[in-house]
Amino acid sequence: MSVLQARDLTISARLGGTVVTVIRSLSFDLEPGKIIGLVGESGAGKTMIGRAIAQVLPPGFAITAGSLLFGGDDLVTMAPDRRRALLGRAIAFIPQAPMTALNPVKTIGAQFDEHLSRLGQRGRQQRRERALAMLAASGLPRPEGLLAQYPHQLSGGMCQRVLIASAFASNPRLVIADEPTTALDATTHRQILRLIAAMQREHATAVIFITHDLRLAADLCDDIIVLYAGRPVESGPARAVLSAPAHPYARCLQLANPSMSAQRRALYVMPDQMPSLRQMQTMSGCSFAPRCPLAVEECRRNEPPAVSVAAGHVVACSRAAATPSIDVRESAPSMPDEAARNVLQVVNLAKRYGVGRGLFNEATTVAAVKDATFDIGENEFVALVGESGSGKSTVAKMLVGLERPSSGKILFNGDDLTEPALRNRSRVAASVQMIFQDPRSALNPRRRIASIVTQVMEAGHRHARWDERQKRSQQLLGEVGLAADFAARLPDHLSGGQRQRINIARALCIPPRLLIADEIVSGLDVSIQAQLLNLLARLRAELGFAMLFISHDLSVVRHLCSRVLVMYRGEIVEQGRTETVFGDPHHPHTRALVAATSPQA
Amino acid sequence: MAGPLTRSLHSPRVLVALGMVLCVAFCAAFAGLVAPHDPSEQNLLSILTPPLWDAGADPHFLLGTDSLGRDVLSRLIFGARTAMIVAFAASTGAMVIGSILAHVSGYFGGVADWIIGRLVDIWMSFPPVILSLILMVGLGVGLDRVILAIVLVDWTRFCRVLRSEVMVVTRHDYVAAARLLGFTHWQTILREIVPATAPLLITLFSLEMAIAIVVEAILSFVGLGVGPDQVAWGQMIADARQNVYQSPWDLLLPILAIVFTVAAFNLLGDGLRRALDVRLAEAGH
Repeated sequence: MSVLQARDLTISARLGGTVVTVIRSLSFDLEPGKIIGLVGESGAGKTMIGRAIAQVLPPGFAITAGSLLFGGDDLVTMAPDRRRALLGRAIAFIPQAPMTALNPVKTIGAQFDEHLSRLGQRGRQQRRERALAMLAASGLPRPEGLLAQYPHQLSGGMCQRVLIASAFASNPRLVIADEPTTALDATTHRQILRLIAAMQREHATAVIFITHDLRLAADLCDDIIVLYAGRPVESGPARAVLSAPAHPYARCLQLANPSMSAQRRALYVMPDQMPSLRQMQTMSGCSFAPRCPLAVEECRRNEPPAVSVAAGHVVACSRAAATPSIDVRESAPSMPDEAARNVLQVVNLAKRYGVGRGLFNEATTVAAVKDATFDIGENEFVALVGESGSGKSTVAKMLVGLERPSSGKILFNGDDLTEPALRNRSRVAASVQMIFQDPRSALNPRRRIASIVTQVMEAGHRHARWDERQKRSQQLLGEVGLAADFAARLPDHLSGGQRQRINIARALCIPPRLLIADEIVSGLDVSIQAQLLNLLARLRAELGFAMLFISHDLSVVRHLCSRVLVMYRGEIVEQGRTETVFGDPHHPHTRALVAATSPQA
Repeated sequence: MAGPLTRSLHSPRVLVALGMVLCVAFCAAFAGLVAPHDPSEQNLLSILTPPLWDAGADPHFLLGTDSLGRDVLSRLIFGARTAMIVAFAASTGAMVIGSILAHVSGYFGGVADWIIGRLVDIWMSFPPVILSLILMVGLGVGLDRVILAIVLVDWTRFCRVLRSEVMVVTRHDYVAAARLLGFTHWQTILREIVPATAPLLITLFSLEMAIAIVVEAILSFVGLGVGPDQVAWGQMIADARQNVYQSPWDLLLPILAIVFTVAAFNLLGDGLRRALDVRLAEAGH
């Protein structure tokens, strides 16, 4: 008998007086010991499922139809106290942000003990033993020492292991994992997935795995449901959905994802973005039709029925037979040949921070970056990869002058930027620019877009007239592929991908020689990421600039950059042509990074 | 989305408070026209007359007279002028000093932050009223001295609260981006940071007005405020103390005036804080 049966589950939201369907008739059966993956980009409504089960929907959202049968009982109509008795016991959750899910002022031991006593485990000693056993089973070293530690003393990956251990401690029948790896380092993604799989097998638990990453889901799950704009568009066995997607959206996603092993190819770019809740309301027919390469008049008029393409493989598309014909026509963006001359040469660059300096004790220093030496040629895209805390961002900040190096040289076109005479930013600003990681934080919410992208024209002693700036902003918006009417908007009215385009446009206002891009596509959806990667490749061909591309995603790096620098604990441990480094990694850390990137199915 | 200032004008709290403040401000600005009598004119023939609603009232003096036969209503109106001048000037002074130091401290950090932080710590360890009393003894009485004393005591309030806000804003990448585009420190603070801290600044200013009114009343009450030729609410309270049993209204009316004005500014400050604070505004939806 199924652990969880969703029958035509429908969730609606009230938005300014009108009712919008957020999840439309979702049905699935989850058998014991199976993992089902809910896959969708942001805005697809995937997080609503987990929230609906726990009945913690945001205000204004409600389940308006359908049922969620948990072992025969309907969670939708169940009395609140009965449901509360199930949650945390028979139904457990693995959260998205492990660092914030643990109480920072209590030790791991105290929190585990509390959880176990809530589960009804008697005896302090028994609880301690059970906690130790669960932590050890989660692959955490020295569990005895761990019990006395506080969450901030652990890494994000370790916190997530603790939470997984506590989720499975009650031998739940159902575990809901909502993006459990998103907040963690890329190198730990696989390990966390392996742990969830192992725990799930051992406890014969059913798992709902919510993610935006189709490849990650395919690795772990038995079945996959692909959600688009609140509607399940494709469901079936994980391998089948990944290798032979039947819905055009799933096929487009597959083509938009840069590959780690196959021949480099251009990325498929879906136009526009997923319709917002408001737009969905006025749409008729298939919600993917506006972006679908196969759409015909019929698709825009009527909602496509769900058809079965193979055993257990269902797709909501009337043109599913034509899906495999969707392909990328363009060839891969060309990589420039070895550059004739270098734009940037970095020699023995180092940054040390003083820590623990007090009145009486000697200052001790921590080296954030040690003896980094590399160069970037003209028009060359060079990647800097490494896990968080490896010193990537410190290198970027030193290159643009936000941090002062402790020693070493940064030669830009032969001028040493560390010389005091050249510390004056305005001389360099024109040629070296930075694109920031978080587009929300990088755009002043009080400035209009036209003012943001031409901000450099009011810097220092420049006083450009407003009509000049207006004109330049129109050109820049065109270059990054945004409509002219964006000029008058505020950053708050833009989506994440659009903000990142503005971020890029600002760096291009005075054509730069070198761009520093710090994790600019991490946190963005695959389709938006493909749009931005193609944009960068096109801009290089049109404008000509070099770039240092900081990223943790090796497949993105492989797609975009001809050379790669691998950083580990403040040192550049390996550098070379991207194919060579990824194909035959020498340093153990590079090997770990390459192994952590999931192989293309 | 409407701008924060237009949004704040839709808040009933702000509208009511603004009405109260404008009422006091009007009296202060046009005291000479509004007041029925000269506030210093003594009518020794009709001293301690009760206000209109009590038996034995003189219709000439709507709110009665004090022990020297001066018209209470006129004195209240001229007292409002003193209170508003002190509140506005002292708050402006404290805001200018406090916010400049706060922006320097929060934006540059490091040594500047350490020095300003310690200065504020030491400054704030003095009880504010005692400090202002000591300052008044040193400076002597007078309207300008009162203003100076309040500025010297209360700039720390702005400095401490604003500094943390400046630090939060400074951490945003758009501030770093402005520097990378070649903005000078001065341009960065003025064009990127101040617009973000301005709502808090306005709120603090309104609250500081209320505090300045109370401090001025205290100083005038103990005779270390404005000079004897000027009318102040604190002075009126002090004068009315001796005759509190014969004419309690002489004591109560200036107290009510202080309460009304202070409540108005506190309400305005609170309303502005709610309307201008993005986080609170979002939580309300």
